[in-house]
Amino acid sequence: MEHILTILIFFPLLAGILGFIVDRDSAKAYGISVAGIEFLLSLWLWFSFDMDNADMQFTEFLPIIKEFGISYNVGVDGISLFIVIMSAMITLIGIISLNEEKIDNIKNMIVSLLFLEMTMIGVFVALDAIMFYIFWELSLVPMLYIIGAWGGPTRVYAAIKFFLYTFAGSLIMLVGLLSIAYLYHLETSVWTFNLLDWYQLDLSVNLQYWLFLALFIGFAFKVPMFPFHTWLPHAHGQAPTIGSVILAAVLLKMGTYGFVRFSLPLFPDASVQMIPMIVVLSIIMIIYTAMVAFAQKDMKQIIAYSSISHMGIIMIGIFAMNSEGLSGAIFQMISHGMVSGALFLLVGIIYERTGTKLMSKFGGLASIMPVYATIFGVMLMASVGLPLTIGFVGEFLVLLGFYKISPMATVIAGTSIIIGAIYMLSLFKKSFFGEVTNESNRGLKDLNAREITALLPLVAIVVWLGIYPKPVLKPIDNSVQKLLIDMKYKARTPEAKKSIISIQRAKEEK
Amino acid sequence: MENLVYIALFAPFVGSLFAGLFFARSPKNIVVGVVNSALIFISLLASIALAIHVVEHGAIHVTMMDWITVGGLHIPFGFVVDEVSVTMMVVVTMVSTVVHIYSNGYMDHDKSFNRFFSYLSAFVFSMMVLVMSDNFAGLFIGWEGVGVCSWLLIGFWYHKKDVTPDINPAISPSYAANEAFIMNRIADLGMLIGIFLIYWNVGSLQYDIVFEKLPHLGDGILVAIAMALFIGAMGKSAQFPLHTWLTDAMEGPTPVSALIHAATMVTAGVFLVIRANPIYSLDAVSGVSYFIAALGTFVAFFAASMALVNRDLKRIIAYSTLSQLGYMFAAAGLGAYWIALFHLAAHAFFKALLFLGAGNVMHAMNDELDIFKMGGLKKVMRGTYLYMGVASLALAGIPPLAGYFSKDAIIETAFNEGTYILWFALVFTAGLTAFYSFRQVFLTFEGEERYKKFGFHPHEMYRYVLIAMSPLAILAIITGWFKGSFHEFIIRLLPDYEMSHHTHHNAWWLGLLVLAFAVTGIIIAYMKYARKGDKAFKQDKEVESGFLYKLLINQYYIPAFYTEYIVKPYSALSDKFWSIDKAVVDATVDFIAKVIYKTGDRTRVIQNGNLSSYLNWMGVGAVLLILASAVAVVIG
Repeated sequence: MEHILTILIFFPLLAGILGFIVDRDSAKAYGISVAGIEFLLSLWLWFSFDMDNADMQFTEFLPIIKEFGISYNVGVDGISLFIVIMSAMITLIGIISLNEEKIDNIKNMIVSLLFLEMTMIGVFVALDAIMFYIFWELSLVPMLYIIGAWGGPTRVYAAIKFFLYTFAGSLIMLVGLLSIAYLYHLETSVWTFNLLDWYQLDLSVNLQYWLFLALFIGFAFKVPMFPFHTWLPHAHGQAPTIGSVILAAVLLKMGTYGFVRFSLPLFPDASVQMIPMIVVLSIIMIIYTAMVAFAQKDMKQIIAYSSISHMGIIMIGIFAMNSEGLSGAIFQMISHGMVSGALFLLVGIIYERTGTKLMSKFGGLASIMPVYATIFGVMLMASVGLPLTIGFVGEFLVLLGFYKISPMATVIAGTSIIIGAIYMLSLFKKSFFGEVTNESNRGLKDLNAREITALLPLVAIVVWLGIYPKPVLKPIDNSVQKLLIDMKYKARTPEAKKSIISIQRAKEEK
Repeated sequence: MENLVYIALFAPFVGSLFAGLFFARSPKNIVVGVVNSALIFISLLASIALAIHVVEHGAIHVTMMDWITVGGLHIPFGFVVDEVSVTMMVVVTMVSTVVHIYSNGYMDHDKSFNRFFSYLSAFVFSMMVLVMSDNFAGLFIGWEGVGVCSWLLIGFWYHKKDVTPDINPAISPSYAANEAFIMNRIADLGMLIGIFLIYWNVGSLQYDIVFEKLPHLGDGILVAIAMALFIGAMGKSAQFPLHTWLTDAMEGPTPVSALIHAATMVTAGVFLVIRANPIYSLDAVSGVSYFIAALGTFVAFFAASMALVNRDLKRIIAYSTLSQLGYMFAAAGLGAYWIALFHLAAHAFFKALLFLGAGNVMHAMNDELDIFKMGGLKKVMRGTYLYMGVASLALAGIPPLAGYFSKDAIIETAFNEGTYILWFALVFTAGLTAFYSFRQVFLTFEGEERYKKFGFHPHEMYRYVLIAMSPLAILAIITGWFKGSFHEFIIRLLPDYEMSHHTHHNAWWLGLLVLAFAVTGIIIAYMKYARKGDKAFKQDKEVESGFLYKLLINQYYIPAFYTEYIVKPYSALSDKFWSIDKAVVDATVDFIAKVIYKTGDRTRVIQNGNLSSYLNWMGVGAVLLILASAVAVVIG
């Protein structure tokens, strides 16, 4: 299976196209089979992945437009491996969780999801900047459709806002990418969009600075960083459950992944110089949105704002410039994907039963739906970063890593463990504890088999990777260390050389 | 021996899973209670066997597997059974065994019987992880684990609704649970910072490596580490100003209060300071250590003062726990780590006994907690009276019971260190302790039978429960007698602390003074609360409207202060941020979009198909371009 990555990208696309001719009644079964096969393939990728190799693996290269050096170029390393697997898994779980009776036109939904899956995996394995950009933009289309077709009352506003916002950002990013190719051409008189070639490019600090900003806008809109985050609550507020799950679990990670794949290795000096700006924005993001989350009356909005807050933790981890923080940030991407995905599923379940997400309509749910409450409780604990759940490992490593950069900023960012507990526990108290305030809730049914099938794997992973994160952390750490060594080697300014801590230096010190 | 370590550690975990996975949805099943109690008992036996092994052969160190390995960081699941941890293990499993058996009786009417055992055993497991881990990260796992179990158990009766603070100061079990969790999280941040400091300065989180490298660290860093870790300790051990959660935690079922909020979890902070004694005994951090001692003494007095007026059976004991934790910190801060640990163990036994006794009273009185509505219960609850009497005597420090030996040693330490203010505060507090303990005992068991007015029909607890409590009663009596041999055993690991000649010389009158204070406290309590007839206790409205009484019964207005100046502003600020998010941040985005849209809309009129108008616009464009290039030339 040399072409495993190509298969992973295009199998969902082909299956999606074929999906149009599938009978409506068997659409969901079809979707589950396709996503299941895709997930198994992604697992195969993991098992055949060489854990000790930090470089790109399963690479494929096929020139498309030779004159401009645009090619079909894919590969996967420890950093992207688990995001790819997570994308496949979340898609599968999302499709399993779909309720055929409640969703009109389920066939179109399945097709959109499979198409979305292609674009997500494409983004994470692309090693060609143009290809990355194309998948990046394509991913907007199915999500636009999912929000616009199956969303709430103001879905069109939310969908267009989501589309235009991220589209505007990515256009500026495109300008940045084209400029890099041009600069590469100036230096070597070769046109190429191959990311691995670009890594060799030595840019002046000033140029790095401007290019960093161009890409920053594209990535930051997607993450979304403060103050560019307001599209997200709208999108989540209107999106159907499945849309929110994939948006929070996978699509947001494209932004943070972009920083790791592009900004850090291409612009090491600018990245170090930009730490103060990133940190200020991230800390605002962490604290401010966590407090906004606390003010919400709607469960789903709490999870939406909490997503932004957690993405802030990932951002400071990426700019920790050491292996602890950066590996922690990438682990946190996986962790946040699992936990926020599960939380959105859980909110969707109660919304489907009652038609509301307002906490004031609930109260005492723990007595009525004990299994639901238990799974919600597990995810809550993962969300607040309890040790031995997946949420702790990433958050702990990020804060630990960033402490090296700035103890003060770490203390401030660390308040997320307090304010995160405040809004999550108050959500849990308002909805699950106390007396049953709404008599009509008494008849609510606990989770059914379909919902349990969707949620149990997530619970299992949350616990498993909390207790034994090594299988995931080790490949991530390998590739991260390589990245840091390259960055340190490439850095021009002494500050950057000093801030970037690769293990080699740590060994020298000993 | 390795197997014994794992048995001691995982037996409670197996119990928790057994109850949680197989019986979560089934009705009360006595099998759950029996199996879980048996598993904790096995853990106790293993701990005792390990203790014997440690006495004879020294510490055992096992590494189970890797947990987190990234960059230079390597954290294993490693466990160390040495003099300190084995002491804690025996204490924890001892109290847990009794509390588990007790809970079979206490919770027998509760429909969530199985769930209760699942949480309770999970707590014991977390506590064992906390005390047995061989590194700071492992300690933190247990630290947070006990926090979650405490959250689950305080909020065990989550179905109760919120009431206003004047009806129930804790508002509701779920409110109290959240308060405890969040307040502990504040302290946990301090602890995490301590862990980060250690990692970046030492390169490891293993106790042995960290303690070995301490001499190479700068003074500033050592002080920072000591402070950060102590902030963590303040949360779990409910030291001022993070103390309010502990009394509210009394919303949990009483066996929980006995186990978690008296005997084990709340002592985790003290344990941390004892465990990290190589840090706290350095000269560089003597300031921090003295602060710990001073804060401990302050809390000892502060908590005792609030216990003087409280009418709530459990809250009085909770204040007394707080006060005794203060004593332990005082000892640890002054460098007498082994005395702190000894008091920790002795306190665990008599305080758990006291709480379980209180549980019997509640069981008898339909969960009534107001001691003013009790009185004269000794007739119907002879066994419980005996137990609570013994526990209170031990707490008051009356010889030859446990508290006399352990608390007296702490007070003597304060004298020995020449910190006479602390010493006197601790002596005085000993008097207060005796007074409020016996005020409670007498109001409950002696005097007029006030409960009859309220229509209660009290009855004694099941016999097997009373028998199950007897080990604690025995330990509350005899623990002190083993002070000498415990000292010999524990100083193999902890620094020894010996009294000076001067102190030895004065020891007789020091002891007598403390005793005099304690006995006076008991006598006053007897005169005021234990008598019948004309001399019987009556509520004194005049005292109750006094300033001092009001101050104390309102807990120095600290909870009200927190609500008014922290909780409410936080909510208000959150709401403010939300409106900013909508009215400023989001509105700006929409405004930009609108401007772009409107610009397009307005400029559409330019394309009107009129050739001369096009030519005009072309002229405007050309002029603009020329101007732009002119500007560019001038600047460039």
